Amino acid sequence: MQRRRRLILTAPLGALVAGAAVSPARAAEPKVLSIARTEQFDSLDPTRQFDIGSSTLVEMLYSKLLAYAYLERPYKLVPDLLLAMPELSADKLTYACTLRTGVRFRDDPCFKGGQGRELNTDDVLYMLRRYADARINNKSWFAMEGAVVGLDAYRDATRKAAPDADLEQIEIAGFRKVDAHRFTIKLTRDNPLFLFALAISPTAVVPAEAVRMYKDQFSVHPVGTGPFELNAVERKGTLRFTRYTRYHGVYPSVGAPGDAEKGLLKDAGKKLPLADVVEMPLIEEAQPAALKFLRGELDWRGLDRANFSKMIVAQGDGDFKLAAEYASKFSIYWAPSQNVSYTGINMKDPLLGKNKALRQALARLFDTRGRIKVLLNGRGHALKSIVPLGLPGNENETGAIGIEYDVPAAKRLVAAAGFPDGRGLPVLTVSYGGSDADTRNAFDFLKARAAAAGVQLKVEYMDNPTFIKSIEGSNFQIASYGWVADYADAENFYQLLYSKNTAPGPNFPAFANAAYDRAYEASRHMSNGPQRYAHFKTMNDIVRDEVPVILEINSLVFGITQRWVKNFKRNFLQPEYMFLDVDMAAKRKGLS
Amino acid sequence: MTAYILRRLLLAVPTVLGVALLTFLLFNAFGPDPVRTALGQHATPEAIANLRQQWGLDRSLPTQFVGFLGQIVSFDYGKSFVTGDDLGTQLRAGALVSLSVVAPPFLAGGAISIGLALFIARHREGLVDRGARVLFIAGMSVSALVYVLVMQYVLAFKLGWFPISGYESGTAALRYLALPWLVLLVVQLGPDIRLYRTLFLDEAAADYTRTARAKGASDGRVMWRHILPNAWIPIITTNVTTIPFLILGSFLMERFFSIPGIGSLTIDALSRGDLPILKAVTILSALALVVFNLISDLLYAWADPRVRLG
Repeated sequence: MQRRRRLILTAPLGALVAGAAVSPARAAEPKVLSIARTEQFDSLDPTRQFDIGSSTLVEMLYSKLLAYAYLERPYKLVPDLLLAMPELSADKLTYACTLRTGVRFRDDPCFKGGQGRELNTDDVLYMLRRYADARINNKSWFAMEGAVVGLDAYRDATRKAAPDADLEQIEIAGFRKVDAHRFTIKLTRDNPLFLFALAISPTAVVPAEAVRMYKDQFSVHPVGTGPFELNAVERKGTLRFTRYTRYHGVYPSVGAPGDAEKGLLKDAGKKLPLADVVEMPLIEEAQPAALKFLRGELDWRGLDRANFSKMIVAQGDGDFKLAAEYASKFSIYWAPSQNVSYTGINMKDPLLGKNKALRQALARLFDTRGRIKVLLNGRGHALKSIVPLGLPGNENETGAIGIEYDVPAAKRLVAAAGFPDGRGLPVLTVSYGGSDADTRNAFDFLKARAAAAGVQLKVEYMDNPTFIKSIEGSNFQIASYGWVADYADAENFYQLLYSKNTAPGPNFPAFANAAYDRAYEASRHMSNGPQRYAHFKTMNDIVRDEVPVILEINSLVFGITQRWVKNFKRNFLQPEYMFLDVDMAAKRKGLS
Repeated sequence: MTAYILRRLLLAVPTVLGVALLTFLLFNAFGPDPVRTALGQHATPEAIANLRQQWGLDRSLPTQFVGFLGQIVSFDYGKSFVTGDDLGTQLRAGALVSLSVVAPPFLAGGAISIGLALFIARHREGLVDRGARVLFIAGMSVSALVYVLVMQYVLAFKLGWFPISGYESGTAALRYLALPWLVLLVVQLGPDIRLYRTLFLDEAAADYTRTARAKGASDGRVMWRHILPNAWIPIITTNVTTIPFLILGSFLMERFFSIPGIGSLTIDALSRGDLPILKAVTILSALALVVFNLISDLLYAWADPRVRLG
């Protein structure tokens, strides 16, 4: 995993359905969830996609070897198609895996007799080949790049091959089939992060028969082992998912502290999915989605800023409640997202790169708490470390100390930097990859506070592609950007300042610090625990002192659900739909 | 007539070539890199090179341009970069849906606007005219987006007369299309009636109208037999040359009412860097403009015997 890419986060989409063999009670009244898709999908071929619109749908239709626990926090990997977590050999180079037995692909004409067959080891190898195929996958290869013995060589071969050439005769040295349900994967080096690659949607297992039969149309003709089936695909219309009655998953029996009290474990052990149908209309605008939700036509929706202000009342201390008129009708949720926003300072900049005091002064002029309160209605958390709150190794576990907004201290540091009261300090340029109202407000907010310490700022608003080109080429002074988790590990965020990831890698500030690198390398392949967190603390302290980046916000995601939706807990790494239950009697009453 | 049509079609060739060149340069040479857009913020050089090759963007610009010209001639615009879907199928399906959104209010609105404008023109400077002027100028001052938001909120959500949004094919589409039609009609009426009223009043002040009145023709006869036929040419110009933009102009309705038409397809392609769609829509729009301009000229000759084509 030398290069990291953005992991797809689940978006508030939705839909399920009843299978053919439903019980009499279900047949009488199918449980129907209605959840809007907010953006279009690119492809339902797992290997070809890696966008938010597609990923959630793919995970409803297909299964992966591993998945994320629905309820447990911080996020934790659990077996999905595998019977148990992979067993690591003594030399920490080989994972032994055993597939569940009896997992069947849905019925489809691509199979002999139209009957879905049992998933086996050959399907996993087929998935691995497609995943590594440069002719198919250009979006998520980073997750296994350099990780498996022989896989990179196979990818090289596909790159040189004709578009339709079959390369199945080329062996992947690191993959060994033991029998129909057992296999081993040999790694190039000790690398616990490899397991995260087995939980991303592009590594969902697909049947070769369907790919061969449907060719290009496989992207809209899903044949999987996931919790739902989809018989008609309308890119812009309503997707109607029906329950796959042979799905292998059951509702989890372990949750986070407090989940049992909230009733989130009452369905433990029940066969999934709990709903019969999930209807997912594409509604890209906020108003129609809000109106449909208020009328009971949608069961769940995220809250944008306008509706947040109207419907939510901040209680202080990070607590929020629904406004009185909505409190009896809906349930509210909020959760820290998997993305962080921060401001990078170009360490190659002749002024800022060589003047630590000036960087430290700048950091004290970022009134992040004020910005969250004034501009974001409280919808964010001011970061003390670069790791989002939902991941292990976050600031609460490492005891990170943040930098607070402090104009007097900033003034002292500006003077120490050689510019008393800002005299002689050139105007500094802040770059943004956009120019919408929120971005402009953020800059105006910052500019006013910086001016209080004699620091004058000017702004450069760019379109996103130009901005990316600019920061990748270290052609900036100060730039505002962010990072979304590729996988649920703090390493994915600490690598952002590792010197070997300097731009065009994700270390855009071109920060190079030997002590930071040592701590990063030491922690990279450790399991979470006090020893690893001590390295994280070292890196946090270095960032706080050297200020290559100014940490800002881990946004909070808000949403509301109808009262008749049960078992809801926001999970950014595993779609929630198969775990949700619907009280149809209450839903009917709500609509009447 | 045939020679005229052929000559106009031949003259359209350099126009389309010019549009093709501009479109190609705009998107392929100077626009944002679609490969970067597709791969996200931290695309590896390897992934960029792979995708560039798969999408044919590693070929020289002249080679790519020749390929684009081939697509224009064959009307085969290939596949979407993003979804891999066949563009011909997508455009055909989307265009029909978009037409079903915009054509009925366009036609009905045209007829209603002409009728109302004639009525208002007959009562020039009277209470009806002054009241209509205030009403329509006020109406025109409001953004189309406001009409969408307010009418969706009041008529669909509060009163429940229409679905809030959605679409089904076939006759079931009617219940979903009714509100977008109403919105488009309301948005269209103000400017159309104001324009037509002015045209009719110009004709009403012409010498031939005064002569007709002097000869004892009734108000109705003057309006229907003299004023209306002479006002046809600007009405035709306005309406026929608007037709190519109707499909693209339905974006707002499609977006807010979740209708799967071609308007949102184009906007989506812009944000996702889907060059094949953008180029196809641009060229097809240019071709439509050429064709409808020609139709407009032919209709002149039909509407006004003084016009000679040649």
